[in-house]
Amino acid sequence: MAFHKINVSVNGEIEQVAVPSNMTLMRMLRESLALTGTKNGCSAGECGTCTVLMNGEPVNSCMVLAVECDGVEIITVEGLAYDKRLDPVQETIIEAGGVQCGFCTPGILISARALLDRNPNPSEEEIREALVGNLCRCTGYTRIIESVKKAAKMKLEMA
Amino acid sequence: MTKADLKTVPSPVGENTPRIDSREKVTGAAVYADDIQFGNALLYARIKRSPHPHALIKNIDITKARELHGVKAIVTGEDFPGFIGLYLQDRHIFCRDRVRYVGDPVAGVAAISEEIAQKALDLIDVEYEVLYPVLDPEFGISPEAPILHPDLGKYVVADFILPKPDTNVSNHFKIRKGDVGSTWEKCAAVIERKYRIPHIQHVPLEPHVAIAKVDEAGEVTLWDSSQSPFAQRSLIADALGISQSEMRVIAPSVGGGFGGKAGVSMESLAVAIATKVKGRPVKLLLTREEEFYTAFVRQGLVAYFKIGCDKNGKLLAMENTFYWDGGAYTEYGVNITRAAGYSCTGPYEVPNVKTDSYCVYSNHPVGGPMRGFGMPEMHAGLEQCIEELALQIGMDSIEFRRRNCLKEGSILATGGKMHPTGLSQCLEESAKAIGWGHKAPPSAPNKRRGKGLALMWKAPAMPPNAGSSAWIELAEDGKITLGIGCQEIGQGAFTVAAQMAAAAFGVPYESVRLAAPVDTRYSPYEWQTVASRITWSTGNAIVNAAHDARQQVLQLVSEAWEENYEDLNIVDGVVVSYKTEKEIPLKNLVVYGLPKPDGKGWMGGPIIGRGNFMPSNVTGLDPETGQGEQAVVHFTTGAQAVELEVDLDTGKIDIIKGVAAFDVGKAINPDMVKAQMEGGLVQGISSALFECLQLKDGVVQNPSFVDYRIATSTDIPDEVQSIIVEVPQEDGPWGARGIGEHSMVPTIPAIANAIYDAIGVRFEGPPFTAEKVYLAMLDAGIVK
Amino acid sequence: MITDTHPTLPEFEYIRPETLGEASAFLARYPGDARPFLGGTDVFVRMRDGFLTPKFLVDVKSLDGMNDLLFHPEKGLIVGAAVNMNQVVATPDVQNHYPLLAEACRSVASYQLRNRATVIGNICNASPAGDTIGACLVFDGRLHIHGIDGSRQEALSDFFLGPGETTLNAGDIVMAIQLSLPPKDCEGIYLKLGRNKLSDLSIVGVTVLGYRDSDTASGFHFRIALASVAPVPLVPKKAETHLASHSITPQIILEAAQMAADACSPIDDVRGGAKYRKQMVKSLSVKALTKVWEKLNSK
Repeated sequence: MAFHKINVSVNGEIEQVAVPSNMTLMRMLRESLALTGTKNGCSAGECGTCTVLMNGEPVNSCMVLAVECDGVEIITVEGLAYDKRLDPVQETIIEAGGVQCGFCTPGILISARALLDRNPNPSEEEIREALVGNLCRCTGYTRIIESVKKAAKMKLEMA
Repeated sequence: MTKADLKTVPSPVGENTPRIDSREKVTGAAVYADDIQFGNALLYARIKRSPHPHALIKNIDITKARELHGVKAIVTGEDFPGFIGLYLQDRHIFCRDRVRYVGDPVAGVAAISEEIAQKALDLIDVEYEVLYPVLDPEFGISPEAPILHPDLGKYVVADFILPKPDTNVSNHFKIRKGDVGSTWEKCAAVIERKYRIPHIQHVPLEPHVAIAKVDEAGEVTLWDSSQSPFAQRSLIADALGISQSEMRVIAPSVGGGFGGKAGVSMESLAVAIATKVKGRPVKLLLTREEEFYTAFVRQGLVAYFKIGCDKNGKLLAMENTFYWDGGAYTEYGVNITRAAGYSCTGPYEVPNVKTDSYCVYSNHPVGGPMRGFGMPEMHAGLEQCIEELALQIGMDSIEFRRRNCLKEGSILATGGKMHPTGLSQCLEESAKAIGWGHKAPPSAPNKRRGKGLALMWKAPAMPPNAGSSAWIELAEDGKITLGIGCQEIGQGAFTVAAQMAAAAFGVPYESVRLAAPVDTRYSPYEWQTVASRITWSTGNAIVNAAHDARQQVLQLVSEAWEENYEDLNIVDGVVVSYKTEKEIPLKNLVVYGLPKPDGKGWMGGPIIGRGNFMPSNVTGLDPETGQGEQAVVHFTTGAQAVELEVDLDTGKIDIIKGVAAFDVGKAINPDMVKAQMEGGLVQGISSALFECLQLKDGVVQNPSFVDYRIATSTDIPDEVQSIIVEVPQEDGPWGARGIGEHSMVPTIPAIANAIYDAIGVRFEGPPFTAEKVYLAMLDAGIVK
Repeated sequence: MITDTHPTLPEFEYIRPETLGEASAFLARYPGDARPFLGGTDVFVRMRDGFLTPKFLVDVKSLDGMNDLLFHPEKGLIVGAAVNMNQVVATPDVQNHYPLLAEACRSVASYQLRNRATVIGNICNASPAGDTIGACLVFDGRLHIHGIDGSRQEALSDFFLGPGETTLNAGDIVMAIQLSLPPKDCEGIYLKLGRNKLSDLSIVGVTVLGYRDSDTASGFHFRIALASVAPVPLVPKKAETHLASHSITPQIILEAAQMAADACSPIDDVRGGAKYRKQMVKSLSVKALTKVWEKLNSK
């Protein structure tokens, strides 16, 4: 299999990686770059635990080829906090008690952050719809949804 | 804990302290087993699995696979003759002479990449002689069925499990109490029903993963996503013929367990393969598809209930027969059979009981522990029968439950007495919270609205001598490291452990660190993180360890200050004298001790507290009658109620409101207790409306998220209410008992009862899919 | 066989041609072994499951015209193959002129999957369950295809041969779909029945487009397309004719819905049974037709 050299920005840093054709973005992040915050829950685009931001939009990284990421900007959960200061979506999910086993959490945070970036004051229904591709088995979702509402409020107040 | 201790509740017990592990989880820093970096030494394993539900293995040819460049080892069952199992050793690590379910491991490959390992699987040739399968437990128990475990009589088995050799029954639990036969004629109403509860799966978001390394001396290290590091050590060591101290299990963060990561399932495969590539770690990560059909699943159940009451609604007799579809191996499932057996009456007092609970082998995926351990499956039918019985005698079902539900002193199905319980309170609170007796109009002309309620009870199902232990060590900064063997699987065990240690010792919550990840080399023994036993059992051990450390500190200070021990206390990390008001921070004495009062030398030394806890009162149960003085350590009881709407156009069910009330004895962290109630409710809703492993000819037809649907963020109730009831558990830390599983137990029957309230239809079993509901409405003439 | 699912993706070579000509030539050189892909959300899954075993995956996303999303006041809407579903939903021209297409796109899977999934990919996957196909059919979609012989157009209604089977030949790349200008003041709806409230595949999907039409006896024209109830996306012609030739009343709608149900040949599969699906076609068709008719009447 051919290896392709790519330049990809990950959490603000340009990485040069040689990736085989069949390597997904998820595997590149986890294996080539040791950024294991992004999780592998199904490798089929269903569970959302691998969600990252690709040029600002959330994608299932298990459904994106690494080779397609040349010149692309990726943000993972490790890139949400700014210099030790947590992003509002991270702070509020802790406060709301929306973290249990934590495996869905990175993907949820990425989806939540992306939602608030494109829709700063979402309704409950819009939040539920935005998170429908992030499965959670522990929390029952209620606290996660509440935390996104709070984060939206926080961001509006900060602005 | 004495009764006096229960009255004073030191901070932070009872407080909503923030989770101890939140920050690492929200920043992506938490390390799960698949995240551990092993470098270039790491090998990848893949498993060759049986495509047949039942077959003899005639030949395995690995020569072509072995020649593939990059393959480092291939193993088969020939290399591993040992048996493995928790309650019944009925399983080999790899199949030896026959396969018993689709997915049964036949060979394992370790290679330098997952890709090469996967390719090697295609090069392994296995010759099978296909055998007739058992695909239903009632067939499995009949004389026509092939015997799946001819050597059942020779298997090592726990003394409280009663297999029937030369049959497919790996456990038969009986209750014979009173005389049901002569009681039926005294009943004003008798209900006889059959229920079929399908297999479902835990669906943890993190699939099973294990990395094993065997060094030159033969010592094993296993890193895995685990609820049971010590049980895994014990069982795998036994199977390999090594001693427990030659094996080490390290258990990092767990991405959900729900019982599926208890005991041993796939972990032994990684260890076995690793024995052939000494010095190199071998990783086995299940695909999501494998997770659905090769990891533990929840057993299927065919249940028959016959229940009778008198004209005043007093339950008189129950005759219950449970046929558990245990799957290919029932080494763990046999105890589910037992637990359902001794819990078979539900949380009610019934004077005459005849129960037969059979664990039956089948050529289906392996049944194992799943949240509720038999209770959801059993209550699914039982709580519907209760409802129907009440209807038959014209009594409101809440009133019916009120009359029959267990109170302190009630006689249990196994003959013992019920301890103090808040079950009645749970019943009243949940009925009130759902607005029982008031019917709101449907939200649209094409909807029908209904309410339903169900009670539950569950005891921790475990051996009578399952133990916990803990240690407490202090550092120069006066802060505590708490050693425990329990696992944080999302439920909050680490957080409440820290709260309890802080409270029992006398330091702020922030001063407690957990010695995690749990590592059997350094961590103190814990039976397993299952059975909703940790807050209670490990909690007691932690309190004992804290008191031990406390005693060392106060003894030291009382000698150094020449004061009475009773006048001293540790408060917020400072030793204080109530008499002289002298103070000394912990950090000044916990490592280097204190000088003697006469200045001639030192006393004390590094403080290290230790404690353990093991139940002591569980008696056996008579194998013929199921009677015994103390069947279990205690029961957690509770209730759930739902309000829902049925869509007449599609049959879809919309849960409008869900309420739950559980008696947890003492909520160490009330917010986290509520979080368990919420999560369990949604998992319960998911199991009631969507989930089913569709088995056809032994093959799971829907082993992926595409066709095994679970609840998403859009499927949850609009309103959820969680009510904590606290009737103290006498022997629990500050009165606490467990909650983790219970919140998923009554959901199926609560929903079934609400559906009946809405449209007057009942079903043989869940899931209550839109299709099932719609076709039933069509049959009943409710829609055309 | 469920025991054969690959952990992530099996081996293949990634090819990114510079031009359409290069792409078609490459694909034609390796018939059966080379496959074009866009978002990959169907192709990758089927490769993991062992249903597709391409040696080459040809990335056609950056070729000429693939990223166009244009509304032409005389020609209609052109949706380039590489335009993802979220982009379709968010585009003002789609919201204003083809809200039905936006609704159909929005019903697919999840927001993050829609950032990769494409309408053309949905069409080329040729599953009868494809959510966006119905909207494209009722707007008389035409596919712009580039092959080894150059470019051509094909009616979407001729495109599907069976589940997963299309009229495409080796070397063909679908570049775009063109939807006709929407009839004046038309109204549409896509009713999708999934197992969950959102995010599921369609167990049954009903697309209805309605508009006033002076050429019909009823004064209305209804276009209907059904998902997941036949080997291909289905247009129940008899039902459409019934609504064109009779004054619209609840009874006529009911009869048309029954005709739609009769036209279906759903199967029992792991997602649902045939009997339920037929009932749902009827049930959802009544709902969809009624809603569209009410909207038309309120203008």
